[in-house]
Amino acid sequence: MERLPPKWIMKILSWWIDPSILDEIQGDLLELFQMDYIEQGEAYATRRYLKNVLLSIRNYNLRRFRRSPSNNSLAMIGNYLKSTIRNISKNATYSILNILGLAIGIAACLFILQYVSYEKSYDRFHDAYEDIYRVRYKVYRDGELNIDCAAAVPRVGPFMKENLPEVVDFVRAYPMSGTISYNNTSFREKRMHIVDPSFLTIFSFPLIKGDPSTALSDPYSVIITEEISKKYFGNEDPIGKTLEFDGDDKLQVTGVARNVPDNSHLKFNFLISYETLNSRTRNDEGVSSSETSWGWYDFNTYVRLEPGTDPIVFDKKFADILYQERKEDFEKYNFKAEFPLQSIADIHLYSNLLQESEPEEQGDGRAVEFLSVIALFILIIAWINYVNLSTARSIDRSKEVGVRKTLGASRRQLIFQFFTEAFVLNFIALFLGVFIVLAGIRGFNILTDSRLSTAFLRDPQFWITLSAIFLLGTVLSGLYPALVLSSFRPVSVLKGKLTKGISNVFFRKALVVFQFVASVGLIAGTLIVYQQLNHLRKLDLGFDMSEMVVVNGPRVFGQDSLFPSTNESFKNQLKQLAFVESVTNGSNVPGDEIFWTNGIRRNSQSEDANKIIYNVGIDYNYFDTYDIDVVAGRSYNRSHQTDTGSVILNARAIEYLGFKSPEATIGDKVFFWNKPWTVIGVVDDYNQMTAKQAVSPLIFHLQPDNSGYYTIRLKENTNPSALNSLQSTYESFYPGNPFDYFFLDDFFNRQYNNDHTFSRVFTLFALFAIFVACLGLFGLSSFNVVKRGKEIGVRKVLGASVWKIVNLLSREFLMLLLLANLIAWPIIYWIMNNWLNTFASRISIGIWSFLIAGACVLVIAMGSVSLKIVQAARANPVDAIRDE
Amino acid sequence: MKGKHLGEFEELVMLVVASLNNHAYAVTVQSEITNKADRKVNISAVHTALYRLEDKGYLASEMGGATATRGGKQKRMFRVTSAGFAALQSAKMLREKLWREIPRLSFGN
Repeated sequence: MERLPPKWIMKILSWWIDPSILDEIQGDLLELFQMDYIEQGEAYATRRYLKNVLLSIRNYNLRRFRRSPSNNSLAMIGNYLKSTIRNISKNATYSILNILGLAIGIAACLFILQYVSYEKSYDRFHDAYEDIYRVRYKVYRDGELNIDCAAAVPRVGPFMKENLPEVVDFVRAYPMSGTISYNNTSFREKRMHIVDPSFLTIFSFPLIKGDPSTALSDPYSVIITEEISKKYFGNEDPIGKTLEFDGDDKLQVTGVARNVPDNSHLKFNFLISYETLNSRTRNDEGVSSSETSWGWYDFNTYVRLEPGTDPIVFDKKFADILYQERKEDFEKYNFKAEFPLQSIADIHLYSNLLQESEPEEQGDGRAVEFLSVIALFILIIAWINYVNLSTARSIDRSKEVGVRKTLGASRRQLIFQFFTEAFVLNFIALFLGVFIVLAGIRGFNILTDSRLSTAFLRDPQFWITLSAIFLLGTVLSGLYPALVLSSFRPVSVLKGKLTKGISNVFFRKALVVFQFVASVGLIAGTLIVYQQLNHLRKLDLGFDMSEMVVVNGPRVFGQDSLFPSTNESFKNQLKQLAFVESVTNGSNVPGDEIFWTNGIRRNSQSEDANKIIYNVGIDYNYFDTYDIDVVAGRSYNRSHQTDTGSVILNARAIEYLGFKSPEATIGDKVFFWNKPWTVIGVVDDYNQMTAKQAVSPLIFHLQPDNSGYYTIRLKENTNPSALNSLQSTYESFYPGNPFDYFFLDDFFNRQYNNDHTFSRVFTLFALFAIFVACLGLFGLSSFNVVKRGKEIGVRKVLGASVWKIVNLLSREFLMLLLLANLIAWPIIYWIMNNWLNTFASRISIGIWSFLIAGACVLVIAMGSVSLKIVQAARANPVDAIRDE
Repeated sequence: MKGKHLGEFEELVMLVVASLNNHAYAVTVQSEITNKADRKVNISAVHTALYRLEDKGYLASEMGGATATRGGKQKRMFRVTSAGFAALQSAKMLREKLWREIPRLSFGN
């Protein structure tokens, strides 16, 4: 008669029946099981038994109150909470170090996660973002990549749609800038795009007013944003009103769009209908080059593909079709063009091409990934601190564990107790961490020039992340102490012996070393980043940008034929001003990306040798004003009548075109704009864009009437009020044009903004990491001192000096620091070397960065350690020894 | 089920315990209810009633012999206490009193 139901079902009953009556109830159920078994067989009996067991949950409360007046497990949790709070307040220093470290770790992690998720959110607000791609433009000449550009040619979009069924639609956006006037108020406007009507259907840029299906159909229609509507029309309804563009074109407002979100790589204030451009470029046969050109690469082209299209397969397919179409030209001019797709969601972080829509805003995907790693590191350091401090205190706690075990606590209960402690500390830290984030978000935004808001509090994703951090933190930080502390044998710990001493110490040391590897690495990394940025800034750019004011040239001018004389007298008038050193005008200034390119070759070469070169139109004073050296030949000169047929090249162009030397080039000819031009001068290389990029080949034309920019070199120590007289002069010559100016150095250095932001973020979090690591070290050293108190006492009694004892106690930490340095240096060298290789001009990594980082960490660490050590070394030995 | 009041099921359980006369434990009580009253009840409901009635003082119990069919577990044998009988009595009297007060007319004969 020994048939029993499955063991695991029998076990279930004990989960809810009180032990005092468990046996008898189990007996009753088994008796029923036996009867069922005989009458109906095993399966039925087991099923009935399981049902009885499950229904018995109703008897959970039966007889439970007889043993204790309230629910037992709740009381235990209450007790754990109480002992946790007592422990926290008893060891206030440890607890504060612990909680503070965790809180800072969590706060740093949250900051970084917010920053990272913002950077990653770019362009994901488009409903179809997964299917939208930008068409890049790549040109190879002699198998060498010549152009890698974000803007493509106008023909490629329609051509793709005509030939590949995967293309749902395409849109082209041609960027512009100019002066917009309404009712005698004029502003210089950027972020204007000439776009196809499909712009409104492919992207999710909703219109507040106007009909999206017709707003961009007619020539000379414009859609403006809310912000622009407010700027020009106040509270009036802008629909149907007319804006003047550069003084002659009239644009009719047909729609108002919501302001473009900050996290869009493509930003616009004005959208002008594509027909406007077509009607401008249409020739006598009715063909517009803005529809047919395969060479005019200023058009940001986007395609929306059928969902699920593989862009790589698409690229291959298109390359074949393109080759069929363009074969003749490719062979004739010895080049090859490609139009690979680029996912719109990757543009912000992983694209750094020519003619990006907002080049200064481009993010750095690697930097963002790197920051995520740092966030994780800081959090791990904080958790390590917790583990370190709680295991260090295990001796303190071992007596408690011994007493609890003697009084009948099971190991499971002790583990539960230590997890409760971890839970409470993590919870307080979490609370504090979120508080730090809320309090510090403004400072963080200012420091890092980012746009985080507290809106994340409403984001469920944030709470999920936070809960994950919290739970993971509780488990990871609670696990080790819980397992180690609960394993103590009551007899040995109450006698004062610790069994697991050795492995414990090794584990803790390993954790400390890890923390300091991270700290040294972060400091050294920060130093190298700073040195490199400094290097870039101090680099001789090849031109002078101090004391330079740049004024935008007039876009509104009544009669073109009068401009040259007005231009001359304006410049002469400026030179009369006492504070003006010299004046020049040209199509570009340094720091301004050149979009004007053409094909060029040595005159002696055949057509297939054409290469792309960047154009700059300048007047006679350009090189003087910018202090750019002429290395061979001469600059333009009014005394040479023939200069309008001559060009000047930069040194890079000489090499690029295959001339032998600057001197040998003078008098030679280049073939350009369909005719030969004589080279009269070669200027030294200067950085048109940042020193991050290599110098581009440039060709300079004499265009004294170019209305792009006026650059005015001021005399040293010019009073800022000088700008007022500049403005009044400008306005008297060019009425109806807004006076817009900028200082060249600010303008140029804005290109480094992203790097500076990144280095500040990096520094901030490096400091966080070091601070947290030092908290841990401080805690550990003070524990060490307590542990060795008796030893110190004995040593002092036997005649050891204070210095000897300090020496003894700090040696251990010194060794750990040394080891950490040895591990950190090669890792950081490798990482930073890779980073530096992304720059055209880079520093070499000196040993000094590492030594300084090591010394910094040493000083900070010894500072936090020595406080306690010196205190212990100077203590009266009697106090330590007497204590039993 | 609180206080002195007896629930219908509790009254039934007590009557069964009384009738079983020293052989009353959960399993026998359950089978008596099934056989005599033709009611299907789950053993856990019987447990609830028995232990609650003991808590109220209407039943008393002692541990009885273990058998192999019970996996070697002891039985808890219940009997009705004098307080239990008193409660049964008063419940019975209350009913009889109420029965007597029902007008014959209402039976419709």
